[in-house]
Amino acid sequence: MLSGQLEIAHGIYTRDEALRNVSAGPKVEVRQLSAFYGKKQALYDIDLAIESNQVTAMIGPSGCGKSTLIRCLNRMHELVTDASVRGQVLLDGSNIYGESLDPVDVRRRIGMVFQKPNPFPNMSITDNVVAGLKLNGVRDRGRLEEAARRSLQRVYLWDEVKDELKRSGASLSGGQQQRLCIARALAIEPEVILMDEPCSALDPTATAKIEELITELKAQYTVVIVTHNMQQASRVADYTAFMYLGKLIEYDQTTTIFERPKEQLTERYITGKFG
Amino acid sequence: MPRLMDMGLDKLNGMLLEMANLSENAVAASIEAYGKGGKGTEVREWSRRLQTLHHQVSDLSMELIARFQPVASDLRFIKACFEISYGFYRFGRYALDIVEVLDIFGDLSKCDHKAVVETARNTQEMIRMSVDAFARRDVALARRIPKLDDAVDDSYRQNLRSVLDQKKDTRCTLSASLILRYLERISDHATYIGESVDYIVTGVEPSH
Repeated sequence: MLSGQLEIAHGIYTRDEALRNVSAGPKVEVRQLSAFYGKKQALYDIDLAIESNQVTAMIGPSGCGKSTLIRCLNRMHELVTDASVRGQVLLDGSNIYGESLDPVDVRRRIGMVFQKPNPFPNMSITDNVVAGLKLNGVRDRGRLEEAARRSLQRVYLWDEVKDELKRSGASLSGGQQQRLCIARALAIEPEVILMDEPCSALDPTATAKIEELITELKAQYTVVIVTHNMQQASRVADYTAFMYLGKLIEYDQTTTIFERPKEQLTERYITGKFG
Repeated sequence: MPRLMDMGLDKLNGMLLEMANLSENAVAASIEAYGKGGKGTEVREWSRRLQTLHHQVSDLSMELIARFQPVASDLRFIKACFEISYGFYRFGRYALDIVEVLDIFGDLSKCDHKAVVETARNTQEMIRMSVDAFARRDVALARRIPKLDDAVDDSYRQNLRSVLDQKKDTRCTLSASLILRYLERISDHATYIGESVDYIVTGVEPSH
């Protein structure tokens, strides 16, 4: 039933392109990762290999730790008061919690898109897209405008906004705002994009556009998405991780998770027989 | 708390059990008509009912997919329903074919019924096993079905060769060949139903 050939069926890639895009190995490796809020433990000894140029979905009930986990992947978790992490997250083999890597550089290489579209309300569309570049010291106007155009084109927003780039980012529709936020994440040329329920505030049409975009982005980036919507995970993800009570219960190819999961807990959750 | 989809899945299960019962009876009645010279009148009605149920199972399966996007064991069950329903529908259709052979060939009471009756015994055992395996989701039973299929195949091939023996009565050999062919097809579908039960329970797809 689930043939695993949707990449080709989508028509986004030719068969050769799809084969070329097959992962070359893990981009991010999580090793024995535990996370805490003060004394309260939120994640327990997570081991996970996130494949390069693939979409990996994190699913599980509210409070299972999936958002905490992706916030650990770019050192955002530690920005919460009293939060701490134990274990390793390797980006291309280097521990992002090691002393040799600067957390700001980690967050540049591993970008993030949040649940609620959060454009800077007092900035124009262009300024929203290049805000990260400016923070990284880029001042050249031509380079900034070129980066804005390229990022907006990549999220299929350019044609919709090219004649009113000075408009406030907050004046766009919800779906457009979320694509603007993705464009902002892309502008700083990340290697990994983390998405925390990026469609939960969007209508079905806007959701479909974001999902198509996610499928395209993996040609260039490694994508990790947290979603409550299991159909969304089954549509866009190559790999799916099921989490429960801070533990990784099962991680496999999406086709396997949704057709023949190995763990009873996974089966019960995805079929809605939980609790 | 039952899920909304469970009402549909229960209905599908009930329809398949009705098909199992009808198809088992249809094949039994057609073989009895052959052995005892009956008409098998009720087989026509049962075959029509099986065709209707098969379409209803397909429609309900599609509706459940569209409305609930089932996954895991729910998805496997619905996928298997297409195959299982088709199998039961074909049982009924072949039973009807057997009855039509009796109509066309007329009185076969003087023929040697041994090959057909013996083969039918195996075929009916395969049907019963496939029905029980489905009703109880019994993988071990489902995996025993193919063992009987070889005996049915052998009987069918042996009879085909005997058709070439000119000394035998053409009416008897031809009617037996046709009926054995239908029994051989029924046996294959019983095997497929067993494979579908295996898929529902274990997720392992048939190798063909």
